[in-house]
Amino acid sequence: MPMQQPAGFEEFWNEVGEELSGIPVAPEVEPIPMRTTDFADMYGVRITSVGPYRLFGYLSIPRGARSASGKRTFPAIYYAPKNGSVLETIPQGTSVFIRERYVTFSIACRGMRNSDKPYAAMYPGQLTDGLESLRSYVYRGIAADAVRGLDFLVSRPEVDKTKIVAWGNDIALLAAALHSGATHVVATPSYLFDTLEMASTTSSYPLEEFNDYLRLHPDRSDEVAAILGHFNLRWHAPAITAETLLLADHESGIYSPGALADLANGIAGKVTVHESERSSFKDGLFTEKWLTEKLIGKDAEPIVPEHWQSYV
Amino acid sequence: MAVDKNYRSIVTRPDDFHAFWSDVLSDANSISLDPTIEKDDLRSTGDIDVFQVFYNSLDNVRVSGWYAVPKGAGRKLPAMIASPGYLSDPPIPKDWAAKGYACISVNPRGKVRSRTQFDPGYPGLLTYGIVDRNTYSYRGFYVDAWRAVDFLLGRDEVDDSRIGAVGGSQGGGLTITISAMRKEIRAASVSAPYLCGFMDAIELTHTYPYQEINDYIRTYPERRDDVERTLAYFDSMSFAGSIECPIIVNVGLQDNVCPPETGYALFGVIASKDKTFYEYDGHGHESGRYLHGAVIDEFFDKHLKGAS
Repeated sequence: MPMQQPAGFEEFWNEVGEELSGIPVAPEVEPIPMRTTDFADMYGVRITSVGPYRLFGYLSIPRGARSASGKRTFPAIYYAPKNGSVLETIPQGTSVFIRERYVTFSIACRGMRNSDKPYAAMYPGQLTDGLESLRSYVYRGIAADAVRGLDFLVSRPEVDKTKIVAWGNDIALLAAALHSGATHVVATPSYLFDTLEMASTTSSYPLEEFNDYLRLHPDRSDEVAAILGHFNLRWHAPAITAETLLLADHESGIYSPGALADLANGIAGKVTVHESERSSFKDGLFTEKWLTEKLIGKDAEPIVPEHWQSYV
Repeated sequence: MAVDKNYRSIVTRPDDFHAFWSDVLSDANSISLDPTIEKDDLRSTGDIDVFQVFYNSLDNVRVSGWYAVPKGAGRKLPAMIASPGYLSDPPIPKDWAAKGYACISVNPRGKVRSRTQFDPGYPGLLTYGIVDRNTYSYRGFYVDAWRAVDFLLGRDEVDDSRIGAVGGSQGGGLTITISAMRKEIRAASVSAPYLCGFMDAIELTHTYPYQEINDYIRTYPERRDDVERTLAYFDSMSFAGSIECPIIVNVGLQDNVCPPETGYALFGVIASKDKTFYEYDGHGHESGRYLHGAVIDEFFDKHLKGAS
């Protein structure tokens, strides 16, 4: 039986958007000297999302933005919230020198560290919090948080609005679907594409969270499916106009290129699918090269960690 | 850059290293473990029982863990201590239970479910209290992991003579320290070890988490000597000389988080006579996981299940 977009899908997301637009971003931006270098300034940022709920993020701005004209802008990397407790300034293993080339902004959605008051999520646990109803499901707020982060980033004068990449897992794609500010996306789908169908094929987390939930609440499977349908990237794909790099699992994995074919075909923007080479080095280098080409130019060299530099 | 496989760490084990840790353990031993274990029906399956575990550790910090056991074993089981990475949230070790082990996945202080009394955050954990070995974050963090051994020793279903330790990245560093400090560990597997050659790593790479130390020293350059002095007590290089059990170590030659040079240097100072090193060219911090997983399984099958 072909899958169908849930009834009320558009209304649900329109309501979230309207609720968010009625809430001031209300940014507080404070310097963080410990993470500031001679090539980039680091700030802690607090902004408001639906609830209202106060979020925290790390904003890094290249020192070059302090140029004499004061008008220099930079491409931006938006590290979308993820399914894990820790908020990083930039991802582990990334050369710190990217902060010289890009504005970076990472944000903790509700439940993550630094955005965990009053709601401190458990991991595992976050993926099924509030799954009693569509209105109470925590991902309604998390999606709004991801959009709110983009609201803040595009408001910054240091950012080149034609070059903003949303980077992360499923939430990066969700953010790009719900906010036109992302011009590019780098995403590793892990749980929001055909969630229950994919969960049925594995006992690995994060998808196992849904198996755990339905094992304990088998009578709720239809309701859960209906709720998760609103977050299924399958239905959000047509709204993603950004040029997108989908980082797929190896063909033996859950979200293999084959499993993601409908998602890739559904995204409105140009899509590149990279099948994992089961090497964080090879996959990471491919991603850095793709990003550099799209945001800086074909002739530019990617900024990579020391142990990758021989391979650029 | 080419990896120097003969790299020698600049870390020197302090003369009073053993005395320091002896004092710490003396403090810890005065605190009752007082473990509690509660079945988690949400996470248990038809084949595996999952429990939430809590126990006391140094400074009376209550730490947690996930404990997974295959159902209906009807005999003493080999056991495993799985230690977590720096950033990742400790996983529920159903995979080890599915392989026939009683496995505790330990959540040292500051990790999710162990945050109420101590929580320096991320970034932050790596430099919290770093100018004094008696206040450094990993003083308690290490003991939290070591006490997982005591938890297992108290379990009826565990065969005390068949306990292993496994981990990657920070979990690899913790596995080194557990294996060094607890002779109950009979076999250990270490992947892409972190907490290993701290002062080497901050020169070899400029990525987080090690970059936290560079951030700290840049902010407080006058404290560099204190930092270096403290870290020597916590460096896996300093513990490795006390490891006697069979051990395997693997690294990726393009590891962008934990420089492979430090892995080679660590391996060189591991005292165990039964040690094997695996290098994976073309691999980063995952250190060849998809290839090496079978090596780890076979290693523990041999040492903890008696497979030939």
